[in-house]
Amino acid sequence: MRGIQLQLSQTQKVRLQKALEQLESLSSKVNSDASVTIADSIPVNHEDGVLKGHGTTDLNGEVVATLCGVVERVNKLVYVRSLRSRYKPEVGDIVIGRVVEVAQKRWRLDINYSQNAYLMLSAMNMPDGVQRRRTALDELNMRCIFEEMDVICAEVRGFQHDGLHLQARSQKYGKLSTGQLLTVPPYLVKRQKQHFHHLEQYGIDLIIGCNGFIWVGEHVEARDDMVEDQVNQTDPQVLIPNKDSVSFEEQEKNYTALETRKYICRAANAVRVLSSLGFIITLEIIKGVFELSLSSNLDIHDMLGSEFCVLVAEKEAERRSSNKKKR
Amino acid sequence: MEYVNPEGLRVDGRRPMEMRQIRAEIGAVSKADGSAIFEMGNTKVIAAVYGPREVQNRSQQMSDQALVRCEYSMANFSTGDRMRKPKGDRRSTEISLVIRQTMEACILTHLMPRSQIDIYVQVLQADGGTRSACINAATLALADAGIPMRDLVTSCSAGYLNSTPLLDLNYVEDSAGGPDVTVGILPKLDKVTLLQMDSKLPVDILENVMQLATEGCKAIANYIREILLENTKQLEYRRGS
Amino acid sequence: MLHNKLFPKKTRGGKIIRQLREHYLRDDIYCGAPFCTVCDSSGARLSESASTILVVDTNVVLNQIDLLENPAIDDVVVLSIVLEEVKNKNLSVYNRIRAICDNSMRKFCVFSNEYHRDTYVKDMRGETKNDRNDRAIRVAAQWYQKHLGGAVKVLLITNDKENKRKASEEGICAETVESYVKSLDRPDLLDLLVRPSSEDVDMEEVEDLRPSKRKVIYSEHKPMSEITSGLHRGIYHQGKLRVNRYNPFEAYVGSESIGDEIIIYGRSNMNRAFDGDIVAVELLPQDQWKEEKSLSIAGEDGDEDEDVHLAPNSADVAPRTIPQQCSTGEVNAGSCRPCGCIVGIIKRNWHSYCGSLEPMPMPGGSGGVAHALFVSKDRRIPKIRIQTRQLENLLDKRIIVSVDSWDRQSRYPSGHYVRTIGEIGDRDTESEVVLIENDINSRPFSSQVLACLPPLPWSVTSEDLSIPFRQDLRHLRVFSVDPPGCKDIDDALHCYALRSIYFLGYYFVSNISPSCRAAYSHLYIADVTNFVFPGTPLDDEASQRGTSVYLVERRIDMLPKPLTEDVCSLRSDVERLAFSVIWEMTPEADIISTRYTKSVIKSAAALSYVEAQARMDDSRLMDPVTTDLRNMNSLAKKMRLRRIERGALTLASAEVKFQIDTETHDPLDIGMYQIREANQMVEEFMLAANVSVAQQILKSFPLCSLLRRHPTPTREMLEPLLRVAAAVGLNLDVSSSKALADSLDHAVGDDPYFNKLIRILATRCMSQAVYFCSGDLSPPEYQHYGLATPLYTHFTSPIRRYADVIVHRLLAASLGISKLPPVFQDRLQLTSIADNLNYRHRNAQMAGRASVELHTLIYFRKRPTDTEARIVKIRSNGFFVFVPKYGIEGPVYLTTRAEKGSGEWYVDEQEQKIKKMDGSLSYSILQTVQIHMEVVEPQPNRPKLQLTLI
Repeated sequence: MRGIQLQLSQTQKVRLQKALEQLESLSSKVNSDASVTIADSIPVNHEDGVLKGHGTTDLNGEVVATLCGVVERVNKLVYVRSLRSRYKPEVGDIVIGRVVEVAQKRWRLDINYSQNAYLMLSAMNMPDGVQRRRTALDELNMRCIFEEMDVICAEVRGFQHDGLHLQARSQKYGKLSTGQLLTVPPYLVKRQKQHFHHLEQYGIDLIIGCNGFIWVGEHVEARDDMVEDQVNQTDPQVLIPNKDSVSFEEQEKNYTALETRKYICRAANAVRVLSSLGFIITLEIIKGVFELSLSSNLDIHDMLGSEFCVLVAEKEAERRSSNKKKR
Repeated sequence: MEYVNPEGLRVDGRRPMEMRQIRAEIGAVSKADGSAIFEMGNTKVIAAVYGPREVQNRSQQMSDQALVRCEYSMANFSTGDRMRKPKGDRRSTEISLVIRQTMEACILTHLMPRSQIDIYVQVLQADGGTRSACINAATLALADAGIPMRDLVTSCSAGYLNSTPLLDLNYVEDSAGGPDVTVGILPKLDKVTLLQMDSKLPVDILENVMQLATEGCKAIANYIREILLENTKQLEYRRGS
Repeated sequence: MLHNKLFPKKTRGGKIIRQLREHYLRDDIYCGAPFCTVCDSSGARLSESASTILVVDTNVVLNQIDLLENPAIDDVVVLSIVLEEVKNKNLSVYNRIRAICDNSMRKFCVFSNEYHRDTYVKDMRGETKNDRNDRAIRVAAQWYQKHLGGAVKVLLITNDKENKRKASEEGICAETVESYVKSLDRPDLLDLLVRPSSEDVDMEEVEDLRPSKRKVIYSEHKPMSEITSGLHRGIYHQGKLRVNRYNPFEAYVGSESIGDEIIIYGRSNMNRAFDGDIVAVELLPQDQWKEEKSLSIAGEDGDEDEDVHLAPNSADVAPRTIPQQCSTGEVNAGSCRPCGCIVGIIKRNWHSYCGSLEPMPMPGGSGGVAHALFVSKDRRIPKIRIQTRQLENLLDKRIIVSVDSWDRQSRYPSGHYVRTIGEIGDRDTESEVVLIENDINSRPFSSQVLACLPPLPWSVTSEDLSIPFRQDLRHLRVFSVDPPGCKDIDDALHCYALRSIYFLGYYFVSNISPSCRAAYSHLYIADVTNFVFPGTPLDDEASQRGTSVYLVERRIDMLPKPLTEDVCSLRSDVERLAFSVIWEMTPEADIISTRYTKSVIKSAAALSYVEAQARMDDSRLMDPVTTDLRNMNSLAKKMRLRRIERGALTLASAEVKFQIDTETHDPLDIGMYQIREANQMVEEFMLAANVSVAQQILKSFPLCSLLRRHPTPTREMLEPLLRVAAAVGLNLDVSSSKALADSLDHAVGDDPYFNKLIRILATRCMSQAVYFCSGDLSPPEYQHYGLATPLYTHFTSPIRRYADVIVHRLLAASLGISKLPPVFQDRLQLTSIADNLNYRHRNAQMAGRASVELHTLIYFRKRPTDTEARIVKIRSNGFFVFVPKYGIEGPVYLTTRAEKGSGEWYVDEQEQKIKKMDGSLSYSILQTVQIHMEVVEPQPNRPKLQLTLI
């Protein structure tokens, strides 16, 4: 059993157990026997016709799971939604990745997929914002845009013959700086309308990548309007992140307030706690945890302690049951 | 030496057809994509799976299937003598290969082309049957990593001492020098994927011993399935919707 | 089922290694009482109406096993911890208690307390192993009492005072063995009791009985820790003590650390060690080392001396004579061999011994407890002191006695009476003694064994014939040649000449010259494995017995009589199943091809050696059987010649033959066994078959074949032979078996018997051939020295030797006729089978010899004889003579015992002569002397054969 690896006192253990049991009772009513493991056969009504989807295979006319997960049925389609696996890209997903290599006309990014993803030079807007053909000079200057180990936000463009391609044709995509990258299992992230969030109160940005990479960073002005795709708006200050040219003054300007940095850490720890508890990660819940920590006047580092963990679990159980009642 | 006394008890108090206590735990290595600890009595093995991920050595990349790699090692503290275990000696190379081939046979590698899956197994404590324990741990870790598989592979050993087939030999029985048959099966498909023995045994007795080991495998499979199902359920309900 | 409880166990080996062992505690171990309501009583062993259940502790089992074997003691619970301890301390007692537990007639139940959830006890800090085990026994006893409730009484039997006290404190009924047996009111059982050694419970009682013996006679044994450290530092040497069969005051310890044998002289140096004990020896200072010359025939103790024995025929039987390092002038330092004294006994080899009580006057009050001295038949064993209440019954009986202890104050070990065999001097009793002494099982076969026999009367059925691998050879003219009166005929022969042979790819036809003919020689061996299947009780029994034993007047069969004498025996005029070896041979006896097959035959004639010889010699007889005999004989002669050319030794032994009165079974005549050409002919084909089969099975099963090897004798072993040869001016070349064979051939002395005598002496230097498992040794060691063949096995006598049964199975498996039984996979088991076969084989030989000795004695009892003898060994006060006519060997004293060592005679080592000081008289080795043989009875019931010089 995947346990929570924390030192818990006896009462904490009991409380956690109780909270988890409550969670279990809440969910068990929803889909009770949908969980399967490898080689379990999935009961289907063959007369209706079955389309076997992901995580299933055929064995002597039986539909058999090849993954551990939850059986989902959409009309005729039967598939197993896997938990705890690597990210499965879908076109249009917003992902966060890390540059592993700068190659010919492209960057290779680690996005927690079984292969690296490609971001073509041609698939991203030039820093100057001008739409034009990429020249050989642009190719040579690729490192001025992204370097190895840079964290980048992009969108899944689709599969080509040579692998997965990303695009970043918007000002909201691009390099991320002054913040923290967190990795959580992708199944904890739900695809939603909005993945870019600005917590104005605290001046931080939160980008929840569909691939389980979550960015918590200082708010960047250029992205104030995140809902619309504003291609034409430019902000050279942010979009020319040329390290070589960063002067002392600019460094001064890039200086992040201690308060903001603390908020970043707090938000990051909120994500960590949720991830370690295996709770779904949405803006609402992160905010909830964030505020819980603030209201209970907890130090940032104490957020990873056992007490807070139990507290979060209890709060979550409370939240879900109240949600349920509302419905 | 008497390995089964006339009362039908083995040196550790088991009966010939009994397995040691087994215990499994999923998620022992948080960094890995999937991991598990598997214990058979005092034999304790940890397995970690990384991948599917980008192939490290691009010349090994296969465009139609995933590359499976396996590394077996024994911790220096795993045995009583605490000797320094050289890495990559013949025995561990052989066991690595055995585990790799066994796991490769059940992973649906064609679903993950151009990627690589790394399985690391380490023996934390050795008391006979490490090979089987490694395979069981690797199965759990692969399942935990969400890697699609045809079926679970489970393995168990059986031996033949004092003219009695014995299930799941421990170290004392293993070092008796008798035949030790390690069997790996796909329980759902009812197929044998691994059969190893390094001594001679008449065919009819081998059949008995193998049958016993297969029974053991099935019992392990049931246990592993239970553990996995419980784990999946927990993940699901914790995640919520 | 599985009650899981895990705990670590630490054990320390030579290096300190922490070991972790699992130990599962169970709840499905049953108490074994049929009336128990809780437990599954289907396999219950205790009796239905048991009112008292005995729980015995380890020392009770170890010491009172004879009592436990008595059927009067029943309803005993043997705890697994007790078995474990007994096994570690004394394996033979362990086997005996196991046998009792397995015996369905006895109400003994094994309770695995160590694996039971409620009776397992954890080690406590600061508790010794013994205390812990005692506690475990008490816990188990308590559990029994609680488990069975008040209906029965659970009685803990222990002689340990402390244990008893603690038991009573814990509310367990506990008694000592003595008080329990007394409460049974069975005085005959009391004799079976082992007296507690003087340190134990009733010390005062012993003190009372033997006040005069309270002085220390032997030095103390060193504690085990000191011995271990001494062994490490090389002060002490470890080895097995072997007492000289001919002189119980002299013993040898073969020590690996010295690489030589250490001699131990005298009882005090032997310090209470028995033959076969593993001992620790300390070397004496060199000036106390005795020279070999001073060894005399008899010991220092006046009342034991040399008996007349059958001449030994191999080095294993004969006492190991001492190799002399230098035979030249510089005598002193070199000729001394290390002497030592025993400081501790690492492992005892005590068991029970056959013998009789030393004659003594009847004590005044009969029926009371009397002390008596027991004299073992085996001269290597010291006298044993026993207590008995039935002295008058035992005085003239052969009895069995067990050794219990030997403390420092007593001159002799103390033991207890086990059972009576019969009257001294009675032939049946003495035969029984011979069997017991050699550990030969002469009990009738059990019903389980007999159930394995085929239905009788048995005959070949069509089913047997229809099996594809069984060839029908009933039309062939088969005959057997065996000793007269032989009933277990396990081999038969057939031979026919071929007119055409397929030779070198050409079809070679010849009917012109008889010398161009080839011959088929067939050898049929009884197909015992067709009736004895592996894993059956019959097979187990045969495997245990190992061999049939031939005594002068009876035969103890390995297989039950119907098999031995009828179903397997290849008797004449009946159809029998056989395993055949078929050779195609050239007239020069070169083997062209060898084939093995199972077959059905019908023997035409069962000849004796004498008959066969007579037929061959009678030139008038031209019937087919006789011609076949002659043909085979000519082939055999050629084979024999070739074998001798290869270097096979023709060794000789002094086998004797008795003519037994059919009614009284007393020996009527005694004479050397005569070897005829017919014997040699049969022998030759047997050897050839054995060699062929050995090659065949080794080819198929290189790791698990059972072969027979004869190790090359070392130079030291041949030393006595060389010394004798040198003394008579003979030059023997012992560099190889071929060289030895040749020089033996050339050793022709002035009289016709000289050559044979030398051969007999040579045979005596060799060790015996042994069975072994081919996986245990490397191929060069497979060699059979005496037969000069690289491979040899036993195939030809499956009725009377178990080794042949094994080889039959191997051969059948190698031909694909049957599957190889699983035992062959288990190398250790195979090795232990081979060891057992060697042990049984040797014992059977010893028993045979002992039987001959016994009958010799009976024969000479009424017939004092004068005869010719040859001197074979020189000693300081006499010499050993060998009597060719009767095949016996014994000492002849030149001095009477009183004047021993008076120096009238001295030994010339180099010339192997004993001379009178004044030079008037001398005897040299191999010299012929006239002796008088007579049976004398120096003590009542102790007849012995005495040889005196005329």
